[in-house]
Amino acid sequence: MASTRDIRRRIKSVKNTRQITKAMELVAASKMKKAQQAALAGRPYAELMAHMLAALADRVEEAQHPFLVQREVKTRGILLVTTDKGLAGPLNANLFKLVAEIKTPVKYAVIGRKGAQFIARTHRNLLADFTVSDRVAFTEVKVVAEFMVKQYLDGAIDTVEILWPRFRNTLVQVPTLLPLLPLTSVHDVVDDLRSGAGQAAAAGRGLENQMIFEPGPGVVLDALLPLYVNREIYQQVLDAKASEHSARMVAMKTAKDNATNLLGDLTLEYNKARQAAITQEILEIAAAQFAS
Amino acid sequence: MPLILEIVTPEARVYSDTIDSVVIPTASGEVGILPGHIPLLTQVENGELRVTKGNQTTLLAVSGGFAEIEGDRVHVLAEHAITEEKIDEKAVEEAMRRAEQQLKDAAHLDPQQYEHLQGLVRYSGVQLAVKRRRR
Repeated sequence: MASTRDIRRRIKSVKNTRQITKAMELVAASKMKKAQQAALAGRPYAELMAHMLAALADRVEEAQHPFLVQREVKTRGILLVTTDKGLAGPLNANLFKLVAEIKTPVKYAVIGRKGAQFIARTHRNLLADFTVSDRVAFTEVKVVAEFMVKQYLDGAIDTVEILWPRFRNTLVQVPTLLPLLPLTSVHDVVDDLRSGAGQAAAAGRGLENQMIFEPGPGVVLDALLPLYVNREIYQQVLDAKASEHSARMVAMKTAKDNATNLLGDLTLEYNKARQAAITQEILEIAAAQFAS
Repeated sequence: MPLILEIVTPEARVYSDTIDSVVIPTASGEVGILPGHIPLLTQVENGELRVTKGNQTTLLAVSGGFAEIEGDRVHVLAEHAITEEKIDEKAVEEAMRRAEQQLKDAAHLDPQQYEHLQGLVRYSGVQLAVKRRRR
């Protein structure tokens, strides 16, 4: 049996671990709440954008915009959204599993250090890596989105897809691959935005036909579609943040619970060892008295 | 008949209120919106957006986006929007100076960063103009 001093030392270290994981759990919980709120705050924007695109959809020749042109896919472009820090349970590993399954030629752009390390380690084709702060600002993501769009327009990649841990609920995050470009049609975009905003696809209203577009419907559409792509990527990054913090919270909670269990076992062992030592001592004293 | 104005950015709903009139900076100059305006969808430029409610005027700095006027509703979809009182003059000046500094050694910047910084400088300029207007 281990000596009482060894056990005491272990108890101390487990207690420290529990303290740390507990603190990390609390931090992740509060960050998760904020991240979820941020993800919801984008809804009015999506609603409004759907509304504007719906008004435009019937008025313009769609096929002219480069985002709407279907071309042969030689190299796919995937934006991988991962975390900067570890200790988030299986969140990143699940994403990497999905990456490993992709066999077609792909170029990657990555948000988050973990993903960049993975892509570099496995010798995949990395275009660029970015990091975003914890409270993601739109400008940070805009840089990423514009980079992807530029690669797409230059022909370096033939699709723009995004791979991120979709936030289902606190316990479940599903790695999801969503194609963004090329868009199939403006009508699909409208439906997509509406479902994202929790709104049924509404029929177009009569007023939209009389609407004046300044400078012109084509120009407005040209400017609105990149904004749509930016927003879509931003929304997914916010979603990934919510996933990250909830995954971390759950992982830390499990770690804390394990530490508590371990602590119980160790305390029991310590008490037993201590009692054994005391009994031993009494026996020795008694034996010495008998002998004299 | 009052107007309902709503300004949203990807990050949040910045402004939502019933108002009397609003002046929006658009690609083809400033557009004043009064109740009963014809349906219009227009591009919004960097600039100041003036909201009049009763005899009170509120200023907002907005950057690139769209405005939609339909019936008695005005929706503004902007990349950034901030109300006058929330603008932190010092912080904006600081950010503007940093961006300008970086623009000076433009040689090692890629075009995207360049554009991003220029956008930052322009929007900072707008914010400062809005903030200093009352003095």
